[in-house]
Amino acid sequence: MRPFSPDFMFGVVPMLLPFLGVTLAVVVGTVLAGSLFGGLLAWIRMGRNTILRYVAEAYIYMIRCTPSIVMLFVVFYGLPKFCLEVFDTNINDYDKIVFVWITFILLFSAPISEVMRSAYESIDHGQYEAAVSIGLSPWQAFFHIVLPQATVTALPNFGNSVINLMKEGSLAYTIGLVDIIGKGQLIIAHHYGAYALETYLALAAIYLLLTLGVEKSFLYLEHTFSASEKIS
Amino acid sequence: MDLDYKFLVQTFYLVLGAIPTTLKLTFVSLLAATPFAFAIAMVRRQSGRRILSQIVKAYVTFMRGTPIVLQILMIYSVLPSVLNAVALAWNLPINVFDWDPVLYAYIVFTLNTIALLSEVFRSALGSVVQGQMEAALCAGLTRVQAYIHIILPQALVSAMPNLCNLTINLLKGTSLAFLMTVKDMTAVAKVAASYGYNYIEAYMDVLVGYVIVCSIVQVLFHFAERHVGRYRLVRQK
Amino acid sequence: MLKIRNVHKRYHENEILKGVDVTVDKGDVVTILGPSGSGKTTLLRCMNFLERADEGSMDFDEYHVKLHDASSHDVGKIRKKTAFVFQNYNLFQNKTALENVMVGLVIGRGMDKSKAQEIGMKALDKVGLADRYRYYPAQLSGGQQQRVGIARAIAVEPDVILFDEPTSALDPELVGEVLNVIKQLAKEGKTMVIVTHEMKFAADVATHVIFMADGKIVEEGDPKTIFLCPKEERTKTFLRRILPGVEYNI
Repeated sequence: MRPFSPDFMFGVVPMLLPFLGVTLAVVVGTVLAGSLFGGLLAWIRMGRNTILRYVAEAYIYMIRCTPSIVMLFVVFYGLPKFCLEVFDTNINDYDKIVFVWITFILLFSAPISEVMRSAYESIDHGQYEAAVSIGLSPWQAFFHIVLPQATVTALPNFGNSVINLMKEGSLAYTIGLVDIIGKGQLIIAHHYGAYALETYLALAAIYLLLTLGVEKSFLYLEHTFSASEKIS
Repeated sequence: MDLDYKFLVQTFYLVLGAIPTTLKLTFVSLLAATPFAFAIAMVRRQSGRRILSQIVKAYVTFMRGTPIVLQILMIYSVLPSVLNAVALAWNLPINVFDWDPVLYAYIVFTLNTIALLSEVFRSALGSVVQGQMEAALCAGLTRVQAYIHIILPQALVSAMPNLCNLTINLLKGTSLAFLMTVKDMTAVAKVAASYGYNYIEAYMDVLVGYVIVCSIVQVLFHFAERHVGRYRLVRQK
Repeated sequence: MLKIRNVHKRYHENEILKGVDVTVDKGDVVTILGPSGSGKTTLLRCMNFLERADEGSMDFDEYHVKLHDASSHDVGKIRKKTAFVFQNYNLFQNKTALENVMVGLVIGRGMDKSKAQEIGMKALDKVGLADRYRYYPAQLSGGQQQRVGIARAIAVEPDVILFDEPTSALDPELVGEVLNVIKQLAKEGKTMVIVTHEMKFAADVATHVIFMADGKIVEEGDPKTIFLCPKEERTKTFLRRILPGVEYNI
């Protein structure tokens, strides 16, 4: 067996880093669009329309049971065929990241809608009542009083969901997206399978820094916002 | 849209047939991880043993902070050759490459679950109020007895929702076992689909399969939670 | 000025309000008394549309609405003429004392910030908390929080202030400071409707007392009549329990 090569491990990092942008693009795009979709889901789930509510609940339940990789394959293999036959549109040539985005937006929106819903429900209804009682409209009460407080409450769980997304996003390489993992696989293939451990360890280190970074950022945000409620 | 219904049904049976593999992967890993996870939780709760505590903390951080797919790739690409080298060095009459790849799947998922499970145990043990231990000691129980009869039963109750989530996530995570050529639900469907390019049908089957299995697990946990949490239910009434 | 007629409110099977009429004129201090569960709080919340009554009408200056189907436009207008002081204060947890007072002015009424700040400080000064303007609710005692709640209500210069048991969540030693603030407002001629359990305070401050039980008004009148010579048996029993040692002539 070939001895472990620390030089290769450090040397491979500069080759991987240019592809970090793709990895982050997956995460950032998904978080933005997924939060919007998740917000919509949460709104439907708390709304009055019973049928829509059941649909949303069923969707959230189904997503909870769906492995990311299966969803990724459904979207990547299924969606082009679906679009071709139903809409007569060929999306086979779309960039792979589009499929990755669609997949993870579908996956991310479900848990995030639950995070939003529970944060919203954790805010005492009296806050809303007090706001409308001094002349704010229901929308103003929501945006100026309830939403800011719910956001702070949601931060820890939101952070966890983002970290999970970041880790699950690493599956994108399986459909051929060249993010850092994809690049790592290419490098390993280039060396006929040698230096696999070195490359994977380098990747693991990058991911570790990313997830720890996200975790610390959310802790910092949480601290900053909740500090304003306790110390002046 | 045209679906190949015959294929849909055939593959569904194939997927159902692979459910035991998925369940075995999940529960064997879970059971194997439990004692280690508990040990880690205990080590991290005690104030002494600084070095050991730091080591297990690093392990947990690594396992939680990196994608499981990376852990799979890492172990699957390295462990067989390491074991082979060991076997050669000691002249053991075994051929590592003949082993069923499911073995590596067990190893990966167990290692990963140890880390996640230890966090569940840690927070569950932390949720039991200090007074319970003090009261047990005052009643003449030893620390071990107090843990077995008083602390653990209570910790288990508060751990149940997290345990359920962990099990569901692990179950979903085992869908990556196909990377190690294990024939679980996902792998079976993937292979079946690749013959005729019937990916939509195959993955719809897999989706349904996972929804079924996850639902069963959740129902089981629901009853288990009611069972271990009896004392809470009584108190609420 | 404010008149509500025939208010009915049901929760599932329970009828909480069974046709209640209240009239409030400018400068009135109306106190509503009664055992718990008599519907006092619900009545007050219906007056501000925090609860939707099932039936009833409201005349408030130029607004004439049905309580159950008032448009959200009218509800908004009427709410701007009133303010509400909550039993559990409901201060905005993420805002300082001054910001709490300013929200209704700046966001609700589009006033510019510096002017709102001036009014806000004046309101805080009136409740004796000008020096605490930068404190967050979590840093204030219950009594102080409720005084900020009152400042928040008076800052928007409402035609009527509605008080929902403003002291019942407070520790006994903190009740006085809040009642004193309300008494001061009464002296200044503010129009108020107060649901309370503090009998002595009610007797002192009220121009009109309403006694409620089981979702209906049992008896109402000026404080002297209600407290010293109530006519209804229910009122007597209630007062005897709350104010033992006082004998009532029939």
